[in-house]
Amino acid sequence: MIKIRMPLFITRHVLLALILGGVAGIGFMVFLTEFDHFTSTEAFCTNCHSMELVAEPYRESAHFRPASGVRASCGDCHVSEGVFAATWDHFIGGKDLYNQLFGPDYDDPVIAKLHMPEAAFSAREWFKKRNSATCKRCHVKEAIYGTRPDTVEIHKQDAKDKSCIECHYNLVHAKVPAESVFKRDEWNRMVEQEFDLKRGAADKLLEE
Amino acid sequence: MRNVRITKWYLHLLLFAFPLWLGAINISFADKVSLDSSNWGLEEGEACISCHKKSSAGLTHQWQSSAHASAGVNCLDCHYADQVDKDAIEHEGSIIATIVSPKDCGRCHTREYKETEGSVHSKALSLIENRIPALADNLTGQEMVTAGCAKCHGSKVEVRGDGSLSPNSWPNTGIGRINPDGSRGSCSACHGRHSFSKAQARDPSACVWCHSGPESPDGEVFDNSKHGMLFTANREKMNLHSDEWVLGKDYSAAPTCVTCHMGATPGVKASHDVGMRDAWNLNQPISEKQSLIIFEDGDRRELPESQPVPRRGNEISKLDGSMGKVKAVASSKRRRQIMSKVCLECHSKGFANGFMKQFDNVVELYNEKFGKPAQAIMLALYDMNLLTPAPFDDPLEFTYWRLWHDEGTRARHGAAMMSPNFTWWEGMHLVGQNFYGEFLPQVRELAGAEKADQLINEHVLSLDEHSWLKNPSKPNPILGYGIGKPSHD
Repeated sequence: MIKIRMPLFITRHVLLALILGGVAGIGFMVFLTEFDHFTSTEAFCTNCHSMELVAEPYRESAHFRPASGVRASCGDCHVSEGVFAATWDHFIGGKDLYNQLFGPDYDDPVIAKLHMPEAAFSAREWFKKRNSATCKRCHVKEAIYGTRPDTVEIHKQDAKDKSCIECHYNLVHAKVPAESVFKRDEWNRMVEQEFDLKRGAADKLLEE
Repeated sequence: MRNVRITKWYLHLLLFAFPLWLGAINISFADKVSLDSSNWGLEEGEACISCHKKSSAGLTHQWQSSAHASAGVNCLDCHYADQVDKDAIEHEGSIIATIVSPKDCGRCHTREYKETEGSVHSKALSLIENRIPALADNLTGQEMVTAGCAKCHGSKVEVRGDGSLSPNSWPNTGIGRINPDGSRGSCSACHGRHSFSKAQARDPSACVWCHSGPESPDGEVFDNSKHGMLFTANREKMNLHSDEWVLGKDYSAAPTCVTCHMGATPGVKASHDVGMRDAWNLNQPISEKQSLIIFEDGDRRELPESQPVPRRGNEISKLDGSMGKVKAVASSKRRRQIMSKVCLECHSKGFANGFMKQFDNVVELYNEKFGKPAQAIMLALYDMNLLTPAPFDDPLEFTYWRLWHDEGTRARHGAAMMSPNFTWWEGMHLVGQNFYGEFLPQVRELAGAEKADQLINEHVLSLDEHSWLKNPSKPNPILGYGIGKPSHD
């Protein structure tokens, strides 16, 4: 009978610590996975009033009510795949929580709308850096058929080497121009008009 | 040996002729298009074509068969925008503008841009601005302005803060459109995008989509005129696709709207300043002959001839209220001369002058017999507080509006374009019915017998044209009464 001889430094205490540590580690990973899942749901994200404002147009979009019946929730687009990447995204996303608590009053629809373009720009940048990875979780380029007869051809030929976000933005949330042509003044005027504010009120609110 | 000589001769001819031919081409390009052709055909534009061939094959196909495509002008050449432009958007990696304004077209078509910019067409919106509140707010509503008035007169295109064009103002191809870049007009009003066909703009249908109905019934008038009849019968002989389109040289079968109002005739240049040859203003309660004031910056305005004619260098107000320095004044006489020159390509001088005289007579008849008396009575009623200043809150205001705006305009346009049917049955016949049968009785009803008699005596019965009213006992077989008796003299 072969007897496995443990190295001498593995004492009973060490063994116990290893087992407990391992279980705790697995538990932590499970916690992270569950935590990332839970914090990626629409119900969680829209806990903040400011997120509720963002979610309103989403609920009108094709991502909320698609013909296929596959609903993309907040995290499906905005949180990367894999527990480490997802945790990192949540960690970085923590700045939004910080801003929500200590920044301007994003629960005010006017403030939220005034700050929205920057949020949109950074979200688009995020998609670009990841080569639209979260889009590709559901959308397979080769399987895009569309309703126009030539959608397939466009994706085969003209969308070559492009990632989804380069053409497809403003799909879900309120429309924001591309950063290259964005005009802060015009945006502020639009917000003033929408909320019936005096001319110049938006600029003052932004400075505060 | 002989063959060699002939070849040499041909070579000489070619050497001489080729530069001449090139010169001719350059001259015609220089006149039409000012931007050097090395600027056309932006490379990035090729990508637009590749995708749009698939995503919107219809418009790509129109462009492919256009003169633009054969000259190598692609989507981006026209839709190119600078990122600071008010209506610039990012589209598949390029910065473009949806609206190609006359200013954009003017990058190449400088002459046409300048001519339209100063023309009555580009002011189509400001020309009706005082009518808009009454018609839009009182009679109907703003939704109608968007889908009705603005479709011809043009909208003030509004770019929203999110970069989109407001659906209250876009889509629109009204001829007086105010574009986000500040330019006025829309080339696509006549040269439908994306083929920008010359033939299409030369066809009366390009004008008729706006020039029909009460305010400018020119479509109906033209159709019912000899000219319209000739056009319908000879459409295939009109050479509408010809590069140049000079009357008497490229075609002669019939005139279209373009022929008389814009087209070239030997001795008369083609011009996109479409109202330039109009001696009369035919769309006012009372018509006046009008001078064309040309400002130093190329802008133009009409000036009724009852007002003092400014001299070169004088400062007078423009249509938008700002002041401008006068560069030249074209009198109604001069304008009439140019218009008549077009007539002379097919008609004799006597014929053309006779026609113009008949036209002027109808306008003057309308003015003196109906326009001026009706206006004088209306103004007196406003002064006497028998009418409120608010338009269209009294039946008499509708009657008066119909008299000059609908019926009076039809009569005058009918005479201008030689449609007896519109001059009389659709025009002056209704003017007469309205004036005697509705307008005057309504004045009596509104003002009471005493005041009305006073007004009518002063403004109507005092005129010879209305003296028949003083003879009520004459027989009238036209209404079936007194048949067989001596008729009205």
